[in-house]
Amino acid sequence: MSHLLDRLNFFQSKQLDTFSNKHGQTTNEDRAWEDVYRNRWRHDKVVRSTHGVNCTGSCSWKIYVKSGIVTWETQQTDYPRTRPDLPNHEPRGCARGASYSWYLYSANRVKNPLIRGKLMKAWRRMRKNMEPAAAWKALQEDPVLRASYVKTRGKGGFVRATWDESTEIIAAANAYTVKTYGPDRVFGFSPIPAMSMVSYAAGSRYLSLLGGVCMSFYDWYCDLPPASPMTWGEQTDVPESADWYNAGYLLLWGSNVPQTRTPDAHFYTEARYRGTKSAVVSPDYSEAAKFGDIWLNAKQGTDAALAMAFGHVILREFHLDRQAEYFEDYTRKYSDFPMLVTMEEKDGRMIPGRFLRADDLAGKLGEKNNPEWKTIAWDSENGLCAPNGSVGYRWGEDGEWNLEERAKGKDTDLKMSFILEEDHDEVVGVDFPYFGGEATENFHKCDHPDVLTRNIPVKKIKSGKKTITVATVFDLFCANYGLDRGLGGEWVSKDYNDDIPGTPAWAEKITGVSRDKIEAVAREFALNAEKTNGKSMVILGAGLNHWYHMDMNYRGIINMLVMCGCIGQSGGGWSHYVGQEKLRPQTGWQPLAFGLDWCRPPRHMNSTSAWYAHTDQFRYEQLSANEILSPTAPEGDWDINLIDYNIRAERMGWLPSAPQLKTNPLEVAKAAKEAGKEIPAYVAEQLKSGDLEMSCEDPDAPENWPRNLFIWRSNLLGSSGKGHEYFLKHLLGTDHGVLGKDLGEEGGAMPKEAKWHKDAPKGKLDLLVTIDFRMSTTAVYSDIVLPTASWYEKDDLNTSDMHPFIHPLQAAVDPAYESKSDWEIFKSIAQKFSEVAPEILGVETDIVQLPILHDTPAEIAQDQVLDWKKGECDLIPGKTAPNYIAVERDYPNLGKKFTSVGPLLEKLGNGGKGINWNTETEVHHLGDLNGRVLEDGVSKGQPKLDTAIDAAEMILMLAPETNGEVAVKAWNELSKATGREHAHLALPKEDEKIRFRDIAVQPRKIISSPTWSGIESEEVCYNAGYTNVHELIPWRTLTGRQQLYQDHLWMRAFGEGFVGWRPPVDLKTINADIQDDGDNLILNFITPHQKWGIHSTYSDNLMMLTLNRGGPVVWISETDAKSAGIVDNDWVEVYNANGALTARAVVSQRMKDGTIFMYHAQEKIVNTPGSEKTGHRGGIHNSVTRATVKPTHMIGAYAHQSYGFNYYGTVGSNRDEFVVVRKMRKVDWLDTPATQSPEAAE
Amino acid sequence: MLMPLKAISAILSYPSTDLQAAGPELKAALAEGDLLTPKLVDLLSRLVDDIAGMDIYAAQERYVGLFDRSRTLSLNLFEHVHGESRDRGPAMVDLVEMYRAGGFEPIASELPDHLPVLLEFLASRPMAEVKDVIGDTAHILENLQTRLTRRESGYAAAMAALQHIAGVKADAAAVEALLSVPDEDPDDLEALDQVWEEAQVTFGPDPAAGCPQVRDMLANLDQPVNQPTDGNRATAAE
Repeated sequence: MSHLLDRLNFFQSKQLDTFSNKHGQTTNEDRAWEDVYRNRWRHDKVVRSTHGVNCTGSCSWKIYVKSGIVTWETQQTDYPRTRPDLPNHEPRGCARGASYSWYLYSANRVKNPLIRGKLMKAWRRMRKNMEPAAAWKALQEDPVLRASYVKTRGKGGFVRATWDESTEIIAAANAYTVKTYGPDRVFGFSPIPAMSMVSYAAGSRYLSLLGGVCMSFYDWYCDLPPASPMTWGEQTDVPESADWYNAGYLLLWGSNVPQTRTPDAHFYTEARYRGTKSAVVSPDYSEAAKFGDIWLNAKQGTDAALAMAFGHVILREFHLDRQAEYFEDYTRKYSDFPMLVTMEEKDGRMIPGRFLRADDLAGKLGEKNNPEWKTIAWDSENGLCAPNGSVGYRWGEDGEWNLEERAKGKDTDLKMSFILEEDHDEVVGVDFPYFGGEATENFHKCDHPDVLTRNIPVKKIKSGKKTITVATVFDLFCANYGLDRGLGGEWVSKDYNDDIPGTPAWAEKITGVSRDKIEAVAREFALNAEKTNGKSMVILGAGLNHWYHMDMNYRGIINMLVMCGCIGQSGGGWSHYVGQEKLRPQTGWQPLAFGLDWCRPPRHMNSTSAWYAHTDQFRYEQLSANEILSPTAPEGDWDINLIDYNIRAERMGWLPSAPQLKTNPLEVAKAAKEAGKEIPAYVAEQLKSGDLEMSCEDPDAPENWPRNLFIWRSNLLGSSGKGHEYFLKHLLGTDHGVLGKDLGEEGGAMPKEAKWHKDAPKGKLDLLVTIDFRMSTTAVYSDIVLPTASWYEKDDLNTSDMHPFIHPLQAAVDPAYESKSDWEIFKSIAQKFSEVAPEILGVETDIVQLPILHDTPAEIAQDQVLDWKKGECDLIPGKTAPNYIAVERDYPNLGKKFTSVGPLLEKLGNGGKGINWNTETEVHHLGDLNGRVLEDGVSKGQPKLDTAIDAAEMILMLAPETNGEVAVKAWNELSKATGREHAHLALPKEDEKIRFRDIAVQPRKIISSPTWSGIESEEVCYNAGYTNVHELIPWRTLTGRQQLYQDHLWMRAFGEGFVGWRPPVDLKTINADIQDDGDNLILNFITPHQKWGIHSTYSDNLMMLTLNRGGPVVWISETDAKSAGIVDNDWVEVYNANGALTARAVVSQRMKDGTIFMYHAQEKIVNTPGSEKTGHRGGIHNSVTRATVKPTHMIGAYAHQSYGFNYYGTVGSNRDEFVVVRKMRKVDWLDTPATQSPEAAE
Repeated sequence: MLMPLKAISAILSYPSTDLQAAGPELKAALAEGDLLTPKLVDLLSRLVDDIAGMDIYAAQERYVGLFDRSRTLSLNLFEHVHGESRDRGPAMVDLVEMYRAGGFEPIASELPDHLPVLLEFLASRPMAEVKDVIGDTAHILENLQTRLTRRESGYAAAMAALQHIAGVKADAAAVEALLSVPDEDPDDLEALDQVWEEAQVTFGPDPAAGCPQVRDMLANLDQPVNQPTDGNRATAAE
């Protein structure tokens, strides 16, 4: 209402009262119109929360609530102030986050528990006369009944259910599966714990108490950069965004900070005001490119070549022609440059082999503990020595695992090079693989040979009767970059203009970036680092990481940073912001999340390998190992399928398995007991005899199918499921769009290790349960959908890589409709399970198969690759094979265990990353704080875990990051291994204990802890590697240093001992059968993150769509558009063998020729207005993808290359994909006159 | 109490065996007073019989498919007015306050703008207020009726009955605006795509309906940088 008539427009009343000495006056006019504004802003409480979305911005928001309804939200601006001279954090929170609240009351919300009607009907019929587990059994064993709901997945037909009934079906299905097939057939997938860690922990705690499988996400999303664990033994650790401000030189590479890191981008702007120079590497003229002082538009996927040329210039000008003192000093102390590598002979040629170890030397340099894991360098005074800090010092002894420049208690002065005449015994030709000639027609194909022999100065070392030829990593490293050091020979150069692999001229041909720009940026980057002691930073992103050979891009950049001493220096370093999910209070969270307070170990699985096998994507594999094998590969049985590599890795204990054994582990345990044998010995014996099989060897056998799957906090089928159509076909067994033939039908090379079934199974899952607050694609395909609380309806914790604060989510209002928080949902499932279980399950012994884990003493299990199945060694659980560990499962008491803190924490302590501390005090405090269980039973007297806040308190109490007392304990534990004092980093905060209510008042900064390699202080921002450099704590690698040479057999076999330029692989998705005549435009399909969606999800929002073009768009260059007759805003069709999609074309000068952009993870995009190519239903952007695994990511039991959950393992890359693009033919574009004649137009 | 409103509130609720068993009561309630014409009572009674006569699972699947899964048929009235804008929160607060002023406290898990909730409240209110409130929603009811009729759903009768009670003609423009959103069928996989796809947003008046002069102007202005050659255009036209 306008209230126009209530107001006087032309008069003022004369009857006025005055007040305040006539300074104020009262009027009589109606002021009701003001209520419009009052009502607009009214509220009766304000609650702090955030959006638990996968951007992990972790931004503080004020949520305004009136009468139990959220009315509006604004950015909160009360972050603790930063130190002087550093800009503040706020405002955080972007326009995209501000558009969130509509989700709360959207018609897309799931209101009640939903169950597929056919399943419900069958269930109730069975349940009438049967107990729950028996009813589920009867249902599963009737093929017609099972098919009745399995085949209708994705086709509607839901009915509402009560919580009681839906949890009973789930409990019955889980109990039946545990009893019939084994607990490891119950899977759960949920990503990014950092975005709402209690919600994640709810599901994983239930699964872990049950013996189910928690699946990884970081590797599956391809956000894990395997180069990080390879180089540092660390999953990912990066500087906070505030540290950008401290940089002197910022190189943005394949990352688009202003667009995708909105709340942090102001630090980039502020850094530029401060005078920081910035170069941007990006194929397109991105938002970030506009910020750059210089823009290098390298061709997509060629970043490794560019990085090598940068490295070539830096080495030439700062390490060879002139030795920058800081760089020399840094690399000697902190990199593997001085370590010695043995030269191995193959067919009379020399190739770089393993690191020399104490074990290789006569007398082993006197090393008794782990001599095979102590790497060797040359001390200028004493010759061969085993410097402190290698992994051999980490386990089995104390006090020498540090980066002091010492060995055997003596100071060292390590030689980095044998270049001087007096230092080398000989100069020999050493072979390096070169892959530049393998490029497809879409990339520059080099005509250099596939093996480049370069001269290397070596020493000959006598060890007993043997003579070992060794070279330093640095000398090999320089040769690998093609640098001429006056030793003669081929494939090295002194001239940047020579076309020798490594030079700027060579990189210019591959990347399209001019050589003078390459030289200039490399020189400036290094010069700044030299002058500032390492304040040159690279911010890099998914533009680099999602390629099949992402390791090369990453290692190329990491090498630059290490050469220039930037890692571990504030303002410098490696800022990988891809899936920036730093779970800061990790060690406090783990016991809650994986039930470590009740039973250990949990079952963890790397998702890429699991989905590759269980969705049968391996059956369609087009990439053969031979295509990626190095011409210098040592002798070996390399000609096997990629799935076969994975099976070998599982068998040798490198990667985890799920399921684990073909026989139900509960039955195996019983058999072992009957046989009177210890479990590991029994399993080993049975595996050797072949009576027991590992599930991985036969993924399609019904015993090895995943049977139950929980998906929560995720849209696996709608967004992140690479090879979407294969999920539908094989895992779900419903309608699908798989077009290709499998290897059997096609007559391709068959797997040698994996058993082949002629007919692939369809519909492996018995039950798919999705927990979500909106009816996502995954929910639509599920058998049961449970409505969960959204981000303003639950209590939880949230942390980020991007800032050092811990932040709450809070229930501003009660969950809408029938929804409940994830914590309450899994609690009710756990309790229901305990009611149902006694029907068929009691206290059981389970056998958990555990791979050889990183950061445990077992990580140094295999310095040689030996396969027990081939008879190369004996099967020793935990050494040459996975470990087999008995775990008691008290199924009838699962609910009680879920809701209380178990006794194992007091008994075994807590810890992470290789250190363990006593935590009795904290458990005691937690009991005092949360209260203790009074009810009789297993949990009596234990601290309560009833509510989500109780769970949050457990995390905060146990974690060193949020409890100063624990931080001090943890540092002291680390001091035992390093022999150095570290507790000073936390002592000033020893009394600080952060509780849930504290962070509700204001986000709190975390306390420095040894879990992470950076610190929080008044002096520096959080920056990765800081404690390695400043506290001399070794990196958790083989050498203990930043390791730029990888000597594992498989790394050498696949030619990745050193970095190299590897062109994108050929996925063979475009062929004559697929490509229509006349469609000649073939482009590289790139899926960056967008501006108009909440990170990679939630673009289905009117406000966001209105700001964009308002529909699905792809971006292409003017030249490409012209070649296919496409003009801006045309509808185009994009297709390859995997599928098709349609969108409007944005024709832009921004784009690099040869690429097409489609923003990542738009949900349903096909059939707008309908694909002419397929004529049938396509799907999501993942309909054109299929996961392909890489053997080097499977390596295990080898110090830093050992498995860790979300830490190492195969990754789901997707950037190597090419598509055909054409204009759609039958759309009216309004570009012809509406009227036929000029007269009519008048 | 205005029993016909109470009955319609029940009929529009999720089908249960209780609802199926309550057929006679419901029919009696519908006929009470002279709120509804005999024809409407008859149509609604057929709906009551239809629900009662169905397999309960089929009735429930149908209800979930219509009202829980189809956005355009949502029984949450503000979905059609405020949709996903943040005005929705304050609007719901107003409703809650109206219920409270009327002496009731909402206790069910449904949001206050759920049609059966509103009808149950109105059943206890004076007729003038009923007419006023339902009258305000006439264009939504008309929209729902048209969409349900297109699907040949018996539930359309409930919307017709409510419009009759309000006794106002819905604003045609408002109805047309609501109806411009295409129907959806949640069981249809293509429609399922459309629910989630990035629907095209049009700015200003619909260009497809646009005025011929502008269209001609656009055509004249449209000299793209990459004007396709005639050859390409010919191919494209094929």
